[in-house]
Amino acid sequence: MPYKKLSIQVTNRVGYILLDAGSRFNKLSITTIRELKRAFAQLESDPSVHVIVLSGYPGESFAVGADIGQMVHFSPADAFHFSELGQSLFEQIECCSRPVIGALNGIAMGGGCDLAMSCDIRIAVETLQIAHPGARLGIITGFCGTRKLPRMVGKNMAREIFMTSDPYSAGEALRMGLVDRVCGMDVFWQEVVGFAERVASYPLAALSASKRLLNAAEDTDLRTGCLLEREASTHINSLI
Amino acid sequence: MPDRLCSIQSKDSGLAVVSIPGGASIPKRQLLETLQRQISSFAGNLTIRGVLLTGPPEGFCGSATERGSVPYEAAALSEMGQQVMFGLEKIGKPCIAVISGECSGLGLEVALACDFIVASHEATFGFPSIADGLIPCCGGTQRLARLVGKSKAKEMIFSGEMIDAGEALRCRLVNRLYKGDELLAKARELMEHICSRSPHAIRVGGDVVNAGYDIDLQTACMLERNAFALCFSSLDQREGMQAFLEKRQPKFTGE
Repeated sequence: MPYKKLSIQVTNRVGYILLDAGSRFNKLSITTIRELKRAFAQLESDPSVHVIVLSGYPGESFAVGADIGQMVHFSPADAFHFSELGQSLFEQIECCSRPVIGALNGIAMGGGCDLAMSCDIRIAVETLQIAHPGARLGIITGFCGTRKLPRMVGKNMAREIFMTSDPYSAGEALRMGLVDRVCGMDVFWQEVVGFAERVASYPLAALSASKRLLNAAEDTDLRTGCLLEREASTHINSLI
Repeated sequence: MPDRLCSIQSKDSGLAVVSIPGGASIPKRQLLETLQRQISSFAGNLTIRGVLLTGPPEGFCGSATERGSVPYEAAALSEMGQQVMFGLEKIGKPCIAVISGECSGLGLEVALACDFIVASHEATFGFPSIADGLIPCCGGTQRLARLVGKSKAKEMIFSGEMIDAGEALRCRLVNRLYKGDELLAKARELMEHICSRSPHAIRVGGDVVNAGYDIDLQTACMLERNAFALCFSSLDQREGMQAFLEKRQPKFTGE
């Protein structure tokens, strides 16, 4: 089945998912979210793909939340289902056995910010504008942001971002730990591709195991985490 | 020490600026009781939309060092202090600590229970009472470690040294720094800006952030789904999204 809201390509062991939802903003509609789920599943089943890059490049935006024109009429039950669908995509990205790089090429707001946070690493263009504008719209985010943002930037900074609803710049995002690297506009894509291809040149088993262990590190106590590491490393490091 | 803290309320914006008069002679229990009364009077008051906590430049919530307590007294003070801080955290409206000078001991514990901290370049932060053999007792060890990381929290609490405003900004203890003479005006401006957003979303969001921080991702996401759905039964959601579609400023009621 073809995609309407995005395109996929695979080059040098890197699978690219490029959002192009047909407007400036790459709104995360129900269709877009379903296509993203399908695209991640497709790339994960391709053994030649070692790393996945998610971006809105070369468009103006990475992604924003749902279409407000539709959302304004949501009942609480609609909202619940929408939130469930979005969260299931993010869980799929986190559980995906390939490292996922978010290449934040422009505007990332609301659900788009949460989509960025579900990636393993975030590389941003210097013109990035990142925000959680829920409080301006009378809602909170429903895509795991209330849990992930405080862990990523600290509780107090997260509360400020939610309460002001204002956009923050690439520099601010870098300082607070919301993005990992910032690149100039002219070298952005080149840097993303270079970084992704370098990671993709490493053995997949080692990449997948590190991703699983690092995700586990957040939610397990140190002893259990070390036990998991011992078992994984025994298996992974002995195959070399 | 007055029954109520000196507070100036700006009626138009619903902003309460509370100045807490501390000092080295004021017992902690007395300061906490006054703070508690003030918090509960704000919590149910719908005309107040945001709270700024300030203090004199000599010290934010300065209080006497409690030497010579017997264990049950220390336990009672800790229990009471922790309850007051939980109450402050659950005040249900945005609350910012505005720090112009020294913020130490109980003062830092109060500041840590606010939504976030803004400060002037002259502000300093720390828990110096380790020199007397005393440790934070109102949730300070737990909130500090979660905010600045375990190592930085240990460095501050073991050494008892005060850190300056720049370092506090770097380690995420403070969100924003302003010039001393502009601090209160800038903090008011920021709070008025926040008060133009949906009170319902801010309240629900604050609760979910607090509840979700210490639990596993799955359960936190379940809480968030329910809270997200709840927002769609609020008038604030209708108003916020209608205003967005009509390209006008929303008028939120918090309902």
